Amino acid sequence: MTITVSWYLIVSAIIFTVGVTGVLIRRNPLIIFMSIELMLNAVNLSFVAFSHYLNSVDGQMFVFLVLTVAAAEVVVGLAIIVSIFRTRRDIDVDDMNVLRG
Amino acid sequence: MTDTPTLIAFFVLATASIASAIGVITFKNAVYSALSLILTLLFLALFYLQLGAMFIAIVQILIYAGAIMVLFLFVVTMLASEVQSTELPDRIPWQRGIAAILGLILVGALSYLLITGAAIDNHAVIPLTAANSLTQVVKTQGDTQAFGLALFHGFAFPFEVTSLVIVVALLGAMVLGRKS
Repeated sequence: MTITVSWYLIVSAIIFTVGVTGVLIRRNPLIIFMSIELMLNAVNLSFVAFSHYLNSVDGQMFVFLVLTVAAAEVVVGLAIIVSIFRTRRDIDVDDMNVLRG
Repeated sequence: MTDTPTLIAFFVLATASIASAIGVITFKNAVYSALSLILTLLFLALFYLQLGAMFIAIVQILIYAGAIMVLFLFVVTMLASEVQSTELPDRIPWQRGIAAILGLILVGALSYLLITGAAIDNHAVIPLTAANSLTQVVKTQGDTQAFGLALFHGFAFPFEVTSLVIVVALLGAMVLGRKS
């Protein structure tokens, strides 16, 4: 049996779907953020798998850039969540439907 | 043909990473979810090691499992008391069922597309003799050197834009975190 690129892609698809399901069913904004991280990492896995099987380093470059953008996104997102918590005490995303503070 | 230890490692890693990913979205306590996410990131780093991307694996552990998740855990523990007291019952009762069905459709469609799309992959592989092929550079100079060469030759402009993104994120976090 040979491990082909499809196997890694299927693992990546499953982890991505777990992330999508997390965004759909959870209403805690912190856990929704973690699900977004799961999706980004699933895509990273398929980038690295393609980089390995196509024998090119470009996929790893994309992973590097995705890592940086994810870090920036987490910093800004968590800052927004903390400032929402300062003004109002509840955490349900269903209630966060106005941009006004 | 792959040897048996590699196959076993693949299946163990796949099972473990998917199980810990499911843990992220099922734990009630947000701290457990964050710890489960750290576990998932570590398993993915092991996948990267298996795929020969050593630098990416180390960066994944240092930046993701280290820096980003520490930030997450800080915020989760800071807001923990409110998080647990206000976990409200479902307002939309059919939400979970619909989400599960949509998830199954998504994973089926993605797997089908990936399998049919990756079927051409064997013809697309760049021959090993190409001067810029990854295997060649890794063999002569090592993985990190190959990464650095590609980063500063083909990807110098995106790399510089990355620094701009980080500066903007830094300023944004400072503006949002300021007490008005």
